[in-house]
Amino acid sequence: MIKMWKEFSKGLWKELPPFRLVLGLCPVLAVTKTADGGLGMGLAVVFVLTLSNLLVSLVRKIVPPKVRIACYIVIAASLVVAVELLMQAFAYTLYQKLGIFVSLIVVNCIILGRAEAFASKNPPHLSVADGLGMGLGFTLSLTFLGALREIFGYGTLFGVPVMGTSFKPFSFMIEAPGAFVCLGMLLGAMNYFTNLQRRRKGLAPRGNPAHECGSCGLCQGGK
Amino acid sequence: MQEYLLLVLAAIFVNNIVLAQYLGNCPFIGTSKSLGVAGGMGAAVVFVATLSTAITWAVQEFLLIPAGLEYLQTIAFILVIASLVQFVEMFLKRMLPPLYRSLGIFLPLITTNCAVLGIALIVQRNEYDFFKAVIFAFASGLGFALALVVLSGIRERLDLVRVPRSLKGTPIALVMAGLMSLAFFAFKGMIS
Amino acid sequence: MREILKMVVVLSIICGLAGLSLASLKQFTAPYIVEQELTFVQGPAIASVFDDFDNDPVKDRKTFQLPETGEKVTVFPARRDGRLLGVAFETKGQGYGGDLGIMVGFNFQPEGVQGIGVTTMKETPGIGARVAKHGFTGQFRGHALTDLEFRSQGGDIDAVSGATVSSTAAMHSVKKALHIYTSLKGQFTEAFGTEAP
Repeated sequence: MIKMWKEFSKGLWKELPPFRLVLGLCPVLAVTKTADGGLGMGLAVVFVLTLSNLLVSLVRKIVPPKVRIACYIVIAASLVVAVELLMQAFAYTLYQKLGIFVSLIVVNCIILGRAEAFASKNPPHLSVADGLGMGLGFTLSLTFLGALREIFGYGTLFGVPVMGTSFKPFSFMIEAPGAFVCLGMLLGAMNYFTNLQRRRKGLAPRGNPAHECGSCGLCQGGK
Repeated sequence: MQEYLLLVLAAIFVNNIVLAQYLGNCPFIGTSKSLGVAGGMGAAVVFVATLSTAITWAVQEFLLIPAGLEYLQTIAFILVIASLVQFVEMFLKRMLPPLYRSLGIFLPLITTNCAVLGIALIVQRNEYDFFKAVIFAFASGLGFALALVVLSGIRERLDLVRVPRSLKGTPIALVMAGLMSLAFFAFKGMIS
Repeated sequence: MREILKMVVVLSIICGLAGLSLASLKQFTAPYIVEQELTFVQGPAIASVFDDFDNDPVKDRKTFQLPETGEKVTVFPARRDGRLLGVAFETKGQGYGGDLGIMVGFNFQPEGVQGIGVTTMKETPGIGARVAKHGFTGQFRGHALTDLEFRSQGGDIDAVSGATVSSTAAMHSVKKALHIYTSLKGQFTEAFGTEAP
């Protein structure tokens, strides 16, 4: 139980994706124009990630190592199709808003990365905890970024005006350039706080987490 | 003719796949540390995106639509791309070893590159015919390569200047990408 | 050899299970998806065509069959206080970037075109997409059933300049809708009833 909580909670701060564990940047910029876009995308990722972790973990002993990546891709892609169908059936406006980024969850390295780095080596209950934690962390990050961009870009939060009548929307924030700069500054702020904490504890400052494409662990795994 | 030229220019500059459509951010930031790596990755993306779009177009047209299985699009496309990448890798290894040495290490990264799957999906959304689809995929791949090479050039320079410690690495790369995106923003409205 | 066999078997089982569960999920969600598409794609277009109805046209929809071709049309009635104001349905024309769907509304009293609204469109942004703007669609509001033609062909509708293909596609859809309306008009009033049901 304690171990499950540990695997669950690490995704919420210590390895918070995509800020601490720089995984799955693609949808981060596209769907965070507004807070509800980020929230919807995040929940879709929670669904896919938790179930794919569970399924990968269940089949981890019977899948031959050579075709395991292919199996993970089939599992993830099927779950994504399931999300697409469910979203069309019960949340059509969200589906219209997210567009092709729902389908692109399948190539979000957080899914295959967690399957390869965690679920293929751990029992189902821990894998589910890991998936839930990572997914919720991802949701929190996306919602936060979406809220930030929505507040400054539209002057609203979840569609409710919050900035008063004299506010002129800062439309830079909702366009592509603003998305990149905003995410960059947020990552910078994250690094700053990490090192501030370390300095308080009397530790030497740490280098920034590197973002290598291979950090999902898939590429070495695929070889 | 003019129509195709516009399609190409729009795909490279106006609707640049990374800087305006947010696709392929992972490799954009992940492989832009040095110019050589960026060039290799860019070339590999152009190659795979064009080939995979041609195949996925045919799969959609002759397999999924006749069978009424359009809802399986995502799963079919990703399987096509994954097996294509494997196949290209084997082919290059056997037939063109020099090319394999320069592109080979990037190929496995491409399966999870959302620009490649994204291009294939955008082509379906816009209902392009085969010829247009291939041209669009090629041009979008070029747009990706262009953005990647330019960013890597900037990042090589960034290594030589003093950047606040918290911003070193990924954060400043993202800010630079934002400035590039702002520059590309100027192309908006040129071709509408 | 055994290893290869195992690989093939495991992969096929996983693919088979995935396909099976997705097919059943598709079956389960299909009716909901149709409902949602009607509400969120056709619904707003109907609302933009008729402005003073108080029923739910999507819920009250009925399907009719064209006598000559057997083609099926889904027709949405607009009612106020139970009285049938008119009907709307969608027709498609070949636009520049694919099908251009137009929702055309017809009014019974006085008889005429109530208005048109664009449902699905893949036209070039900025040019062809202007057919969805009020400047073009507004010309159809309250138009008589006759003279539905571009000015160049002797009618009184202005095409969007520089977007001939998209404008023609829209006009084609409207004319197709007019044809359907005239041939099925009797059935509409019969099926929906002009008075409160």
